[in-house]
Parts: sequence; structure tokens; C-alpha cells
Amino acid sequence: MNIWVYVLRRLLYVVPILLGVCLIIFVLFNVVAGDPTHLLLGKHATAKQMAELRHELGLDRPWFFQYLDLVKSAFTFDFGRSWSTKQTISSMISEGAIPSLTLTIPGFVLTTVFSVSLSLLVAFYRGSFFDRFSVFICVGLMSISSLAYILFGQWFFAYYLGWFEISGYDSGFPNWVPYVQLPVLIWIILSIGPDLRFFRTIMLDEVYQDYVRTARSKGLGEKVILFKHVLKNAMIPIITYVVIQIPFLILGALLIESFFGIPGLGGITLNAINSSDFPVIRAMTVLSAVAYIIFSVITDVLYTIVDPRVRLK
Amino acid sequence: MKKMITILLSFGLVLGLTSCTKKEVSNEKVLNLAVSAKIKGMDPIYANDLYSSNEVARVYEGLLEYHYLKRPYTLVPNLAEALPTVSDDGMTYTFKIKQGVKFHDDKAFPNAKGRELTAEDFVYSIKRLADPKLQALGWWLLDGKIKGLNEWRDKYGDQPKVDYTEEVEGLKAIDRYTLQFTLAKPFPQFLYALAMPFTFAVAKEVVEHYGSEFINHPVGTGPFVLPEFKQTNKIVYTKNPTFRKKTFPTEASEEFKSMLTDAGKQLPLVDKVIVNILVESQPRWLNFQKGKIDYIGIPKDNFDSAVIPGKGITDDLKAKGINLTVTPSLDVTYTAFNHDNKLFANEKLRQAMSAAFDPYTANKLFYNDTALPAQSVVPPGIAGHIDGYKNPFIGPNLELAKKLLAEAGFADGKGLPEITYDCPSSTISRQIGEFFKQQMAKIGVNIKVVQNPWPELQKKIKNRTVMLYGIAWGADYPDAENFLQLLYGPNKSPGANGSGYNNEEFNKLYKTAAVLQDSPERTALYEKMNRIAAEKVPWIFGVHRQSYVLFHSWVKNYINADFNAGQAQYLNVDITAKQEAIKKL
Repeated sequence: MNIWVYVLRRLLYVVPILLGVCLIIFVLFNVVAGDPTHLLLGKHATAKQMAELRHELGLDRPWFFQYLDLVKSAFTFDFGRSWSTKQTISSMISEGAIPSLTLTIPGFVLTTVFSVSLSLLVAFYRGSFFDRFSVFICVGLMSISSLAYILFGQWFFAYYLGWFEISGYDSGFPNWVPYVQLPVLIWIILSIGPDLRFFRTIMLDEVYQDYVRTARSKGLGEKVILFKHVLKNAMIPIITYVVIQIPFLILGALLIESFFGIPGLGGITLNAINSSDFPVIRAMTVLSAVAYIIFSVITDVLYTIVDPRVRLK
Repeated sequence: MKKMITILLSFGLVLGLTSCTKKEVSNEKVLNLAVSAKIKGMDPIYANDLYSSNEVARVYEGLLEYHYLKRPYTLVPNLAEALPTVSDDGMTYTFKIKQGVKFHDDKAFPNAKGRELTAEDFVYSIKRLADPKLQALGWWLLDGKIKGLNEWRDKYGDQPKVDYTEEVEGLKAIDRYTLQFTLAKPFPQFLYALAMPFTFAVAKEVVEHYGSEFINHPVGTGPFVLPEFKQTNKIVYTKNPTFRKKTFPTEASEEFKSMLTDAGKQLPLVDKVIVNILVESQPRWLNFQKGKIDYIGIPKDNFDSAVIPGKGITDDLKAKGINLTVTPSLDVTYTAFNHDNKLFANEKLRQAMSAAFDPYTANKLFYNDTALPAQSVVPPGIAGHIDGYKNPFIGPNLELAKKLLAEAGFADGKGLPEITYDCPSSTISRQIGEFFKQQMAKIGVNIKVVQNPWPELQKKIKNRTVMLYGIAWGADYPDAENFLQLLYGPNKSPGANGSGYNNEEFNKLYKTAAVLQDSPERTALYEKMNRIAAEKVPWIFGVHRQSYVLFHSWVKNYINADFNAGQAQYLNVDITAKQEAIKKL
């Protein structure tokens, strides 16, 4: 099948998926969460003013029309304005996405590079003390709460040693660089444990395959086997694991952003949840769903590139 | 592989080059502040939280303000030339506004030059507050108070456009500099409303020029300028170059006399204000200790390392030149009964539960022993609070609690159903809830703590589906009425009286006091209501909190206040002292 036909067909799946996502969001916020007007109007809200605000927000319209509005905004990407901050949601997202990405992209790329490289090394020294020690360190890193790394890292490296900025963010390159260094480092420490363990398992699976034994019997060196054959064959699960994380990078890192004062999308989402800001939550959910679908299509296409045996149907 | 090493080395180089934090102090007078919540926007009519109203007040101004150096809180003219003349019946307030006051320069004005403020600007700004299309968050302040304003609002509720040119009887610009308000009913707190950011002056041209983006383009008459507001974590204001002649006060209450060194100096005293939004307490605290923030409310978790009870701040902080100021807050924390629930119509039961609760231990556990256990609803510092009064039902008094519980018909808790205690979902709220449960268990009252996201708790209170709930109230203005209204029957939820308490005698007293100007007679009524609130136990009273604020030696004129919108213009920074002090941090 032509790759473009496949991509188009997969992208068309967006329609039913978005309708479903809209329905879930609608039910969650209109049936379960109830009326947001009291929260929006604050401690002095009166019944009359709540009714007026419900009218202004269109919450007193029949549910079917409200659902249609939701579907329309999901397909046009016009999410209107935030109920809480009165800002246009598109500007909130565009202003928040860059700070989030300046943190998450370096963190993600470096973690992936480190963990794939280390997993190859570990596979090379499989069964040795180095292998067992790295697994021990991974489990150790994963056992500690992310909050502990953030609190300790901020206090020790930024405050006590003064190597990094404690918090803050300045827009424009390279102004933001000093502010994301420590957050990126913490991101790497937080992610390297699970990533390395996952990649190690993949590499070890490949190392025991027949073709590796054949390669060895042909007299190929261990490094050539690992980098030329094992890594190439391990690419499918690696791509699946890595590419599918990309849409979530845009959403930022909730805790890290919050502690380091980075004005990213993580904070915007958290604020929206706390203030029942339905339009913002709706926008973030729809965007995540769309990004997830797009990146899963990209994953499929990449399969065909790294492994010519894969056929898209 | 080589490429990868090159990339990693480049990243390392960037890290190295840009690392290492600096300790340089610029020669510009810059005030570095930190706030713990996102700022919603810069439109005065939506500034209903402390953080947004403080930001709005750096740019916009109102007719009146609180005297910076006087306590009790005293209203003084700001954009008004003088305090208003009030008609004999107390219903008409006439203001003369200052001449020659200019709005900030902005492209919304002809030639981008700010024009002069006139009385019409206040008429327009207050109509915006009432505009049904805008759903202002400060409308409650003037709802039903100004003659003809509610009718004007209601008229345009269902129409597509609101006509601002239509005259409102109680809101008139008599001439270019004379403004007149006529009230619809007596409202002794009216002048406080004119010192709140909701009523600050905006220019019609600017609102119309920016339309729905007005919230991001603050153009006022205030001491600082902010060309554009963005939802980032840093807001930078600069001194308004066209600010009118306004000087630092030359009079002060005894406790603030030392601040008169700046008396008569032109405001603002600093060139720039940088507001850092830091939601978490640790980065606020660490930045303060490094001198990157000028003052800070001590975070709960850092309290023990900063303050020694009864002795003030630690030697370590003293050596760094850090100072402490302690100020009672005008607030009250409480556990409210839902008075729609028949169980709580039993006064003895309410009194028994109050007597079983230990506010002193709660103070130690949750407020680092810094708060004042509340005896009733009105906090110290305003008329209506009764100095030295002891509420007979304040715990811990288990003997009395058990006796009252038996008299209520539930000896040792027998016959009582499980009572739910609803609270917000934060850790501290849960801990307070668990503590309350433990206290009630001592007399056999079985409590179940239910945590809720904030909107859910609000919904439950509004729908009257709670039994007990833990909450707090902070003053909007320094008048006991603002607290007593929480127990006034007709204010029942969704109004401010969330507990739905309804006591005929209390309501009658409230109604009488509500139309009286500040006077010994009104204070006597307030005190009477305060006693009823204490003895009838509509709530279980918690504490009145005190705020502990640390500030660096280079910050001058800092006062911690409940109503400190506009404070930044009075603060000063001693650059030489900062250059010296920062070396020790």
C-alpha cells in the first residue's frame, strides 16, 4: 500500500477518536464536575450572578448544543478564551509551549542518547559486575520520589553550591539556558532509570538471537555486532517507546516546571484543573489526543524505514 | 559516535558558559518581589484575588487609598482631591478629583500621549463593573448600592450591546472634575469600595482600542507602567515617567514614625518592580536567602529554621541583616455546621463539639504557634472585636463537652450518626481534618474526613450537601460587617453565609448596624453580634492567623498589611546597603 494512503487513512481515524474524546470530556465536566460558576465568581457569588454567568458561558443551553460546540472547537482548534484568566487559549498554548519544550526536548534527547548508549555498553558487559551495578543504580534511582530529586537538587546544586539558578525563566535564546540546566539534569536523572532498564532488556533480547550467534561464528567483533546488527534490530521497540513520548513533551513537566518557575504548559494545565477552567482543559486534552494519533502514525512510518520487512496495511 | 560526543561537549560548553550565578547589584533601584500564585490578568474588574489586585494596583488607581503609615486603617484621598462631601442623609457622596492627572502614554490615545483623567472616567469604570456582558468579579461590591445601577445592568442583560451613554441616576459626572454618587440604600462601607481595585479608573479609549485584549494592556494613572501583560512567571514594571506629584506621607502612627526619613519624597521611590511568580515555597525561600527576593512570608516548612518562639529570628538570619515583622491578619478560620441539617439545630451539640476542639494544639500543629485562637468571628484590630473576651465554649474542655453532649441527648456520642467533615484536597487540609476527627473522638463523636477538589467543595456547600466543612475568611475591607455578614440569615449560600445560619436576633441587629456610620452605637451592635456568634456556636472557631514576614536590610519602609495594594510605590531600596549585605548571603 502506498505510504501516503496509509497515512491519510490513519489520520482519518482522528475523527471518531476526537468525537469520543469530546464525549468523555463533556460527560466528565458537565455531569460529574458540575457547575463551575461559583468558583469563577468567587466567595461573593450570588444565585442571580451565577445564573447570569451560566447564561454568558452558554451553560444553560441544551446539552446537545454544548456538545456540538465542543466538537466544533476540537475540529477547528478554536478553543476560545480561558474562563479563569480571560486569555485566548491559543496564545496561552503558544506562550507556554516554548518554555516547556526548552526543558523537555534537551531532557528527552539527552536521556535517550545516554540510555541507549549505556544499554549497549551494559549488553556488551552483560552478566558482569558493571551490568549488575547499573541495574542496581537504575532501581535505586527509580525508587526515590521525583520530589526528593527536585528539592535536594535545588537546595544543593543551586542554593548551596551556587552552580545553577534556583528558579526563574527568561525568554529568548540563550537567556533561558541558565534556568533550564538544573531542571534538565533532574529530568535526565528521573528518566534514565526506567529508560536504561527498558533498553537493556531489548538489547539483551537481541543479543541472544540466532543472527548474533551467526555473526559471532563468522568472526565479527563484538562492537561491530552490537552497533551494526543488534542496535539496528532493536530499533523497532526503541522507536515505539521514544516517538510515542514526544507528544507528551509539549505538555511539559508538571512538578519540575512548578518548582523551577518555568512558565510552561504543565503549570497552565494544573491551574486549569484547579480552577475548573473547562475550555483550557478541553484544549489540552484534545491537543494531546491529536498529537498522540499523529505520532503513532509517524511511529508506523518509521518502522518501514528502519526495517524494510515491515509493510503498512 | 564522534558526532554524538561533539553534541554532548557543545551542550556541556553551553552549560559551563552560562552557569555560575552572579552576585552583582545594579545601580538601579529595583524591587524584587515573589508571589505564590498565577496572576489572572490586569483588568481591575476581574481582580478578585489578593495577587491580581496587588498587580492591578501598581498600574491603576482609585479615588481613595489607605494611609500607608497609619493604623487603624484610615482612608485618604488618592485620585480624589479630598474626602467627599456627604449629604445629611448619608446618601449622596460628591468628590472633586485631582486635576492634571495623566493616563500612561499608550497608542490608544491620540499621538500615543496619555490624556488627562476626568470624572467621566470613573463613571465609565464603574459602569464597566456593572456591565452584564463582562460579568465582573467585583460586582458584588456595588450590587444594589448605587441608585439606578442595577436597573441599568438588568436592562442590558438580554440585549446584544450595552449603552454606556445612558445616564444612571446615582452615578454622575457633574463637570469635568466633579463626580457624584447617590446610593440606593444606606451603605456605610461605601468609601472602602472606592479604595478597592474593582473601582479603579480605566480609560474608555484604551478599553475600546484593545477590546478583549484589554486585560493584557494595562493603562492607568498609577506609579508604574507595564506595556504588556503576559502569562509568564515574571512581570517587570518600570517607573511611570509622567506620574503626578505624589509624595511620601509626612505623618505616621507611632510605630511607623521611623519610616518618615523618606517623608516628602516624590513617589515611587524605586525605578523598577520585578514580580516573580513562584508557586512552590522552596524556591521562594532559597531565592530570598540569596537576596534575589526582597521580602517573603515565612513558608510553614521553613518556620522553625527562621524563628525561635518568643525570641524572634535566628542568629544566622540576624547576621545576614534580615528583619522580621509580625502582623495579625484580619481573618478567621472555622469549621462550619450546615444549619439546614436538623442535627445541628441542637445548640447543645454544637457547643459540645466546640468545647471538645482544642484550638491551642491546632495552632501549634498547623500555624507554628503563631496564630491567635479565635473567640468569635471578628478578628482583633477592628471595631467589634471584644478585647479580653473568652468564649465559654472554646475548648479544650472535655468535661464540659461531655456534659453538653449528654444534655444534647447524645451521652458519649450514643445515637449520633457518623458526621462528615468536608475539606479541600491539600495535605494541610487533610491533616487539619484528621486532627478534628481525633478531637471529636474524645467525646465519642464519630467524624469521617472527606477531601474534595476546591470546585467540588464549593458545589457541596452551595447545594447544602455537607454536614461540617473547614474553611477560612479574609477581610475585604477593615469593617466587622465584612465578617458578621457571614452569619446573616438572608446571605445564605450561594451568598456569603455558607453555613446557612439564621438567628432572628442576630439578623435584626445586623440590619440595624448595616445602615449606621462608624460610631460607638454601631460598635456596640457589632460587639453584641460577636457575642451571639460566640455563644450560639454557629461555627467551631479556629484561629486568627498572624503573618510573619522577613525582609532584607536594604528594603526600606516595609509594612505588612492586609490592604497593601499600591504598596510598591512607598518601598525604597538602599543600593549601598544591598551591595554590602549581598556579599554575606
